[in-house]
Amino acid sequence: MSLSVDPLKLREEVKKKYREVALDPGGEHHFHTGRALARHLGYDERMLEAMPEEAVESFAGVANPFSLRRLDPGQRVVDVGSGGGFDCFVAGLQVGPVGRVVGVDMLDEMLSRARRGAQRMGLDQVEFREGLIEDMPVDSGWADVVISNGVINLCADKRATFEEIWRVLRPGGTLQFGDIANGRPVPESARANVDLWTA
Amino acid sequence: MLSEVGFVDVRVSEPFDTFGGARGEAKARAFEVYGYTFLARRPG
Repeated sequence: MSLSVDPLKLREEVKKKYREVALDPGGEHHFHTGRALARHLGYDERMLEAMPEEAVESFAGVANPFSLRRLDPGQRVVDVGSGGGFDCFVAGLQVGPVGRVVGVDMLDEMLSRARRGAQRMGLDQVEFREGLIEDMPVDSGWADVVISNGVINLCADKRATFEEIWRVLRPGGTLQFGDIANGRPVPESARANVDLWTA
Repeated sequence: MLSEVGFVDVRVSEPFDTFGGARGEAKARAFEVYGYTFLARRPG
């Protein structure tokens, strides 16, 4: 299958954009970030109030992966492209101390931020691993649930991404993710412009 | 694509106005871009 853009170029552009978010979450971005965005997307208000600013300020999701289904205590969860860790913290609170949450991200800056947040919140059941979402450092069939938020649209090869998610999910497991979709077709010239994927 | 890979029981939420009021709003409006939550299951 031919791809609209060079996957490596796109990955570098995504790294550049989200490194900016990690280092300056309140800066000028083309999308909303932080606690106000989480409120707008319908995350639980009491949970948000209890979260330290560091755990939520770099949140840059596009929907709410928990809006159609809450996680069950004890479940094992993988977050695909976990960024600053916000959705992992939500997942960690829902699955509780006997559950497990693994966030996978390719950016050192986001992983550092996420690990600090988990430590600050005392979420021992949440860990973060460096890796690419097309080749996640997670055993096959390990996860009861895979979550993601605003990440899959940034992958050049979406089919390969869904196949990797399939691999880490156990049979009977659930994929619940937030992402964007367009109601009008995007011209091929725009699809081929890597700069527009993150703008 | 979810179905092509093998997922079943696919559900989609109502849209979230993800970019409303953000710097990227004009581009999002031009292509009717909204956020959605997707739910799907790997058959057991």
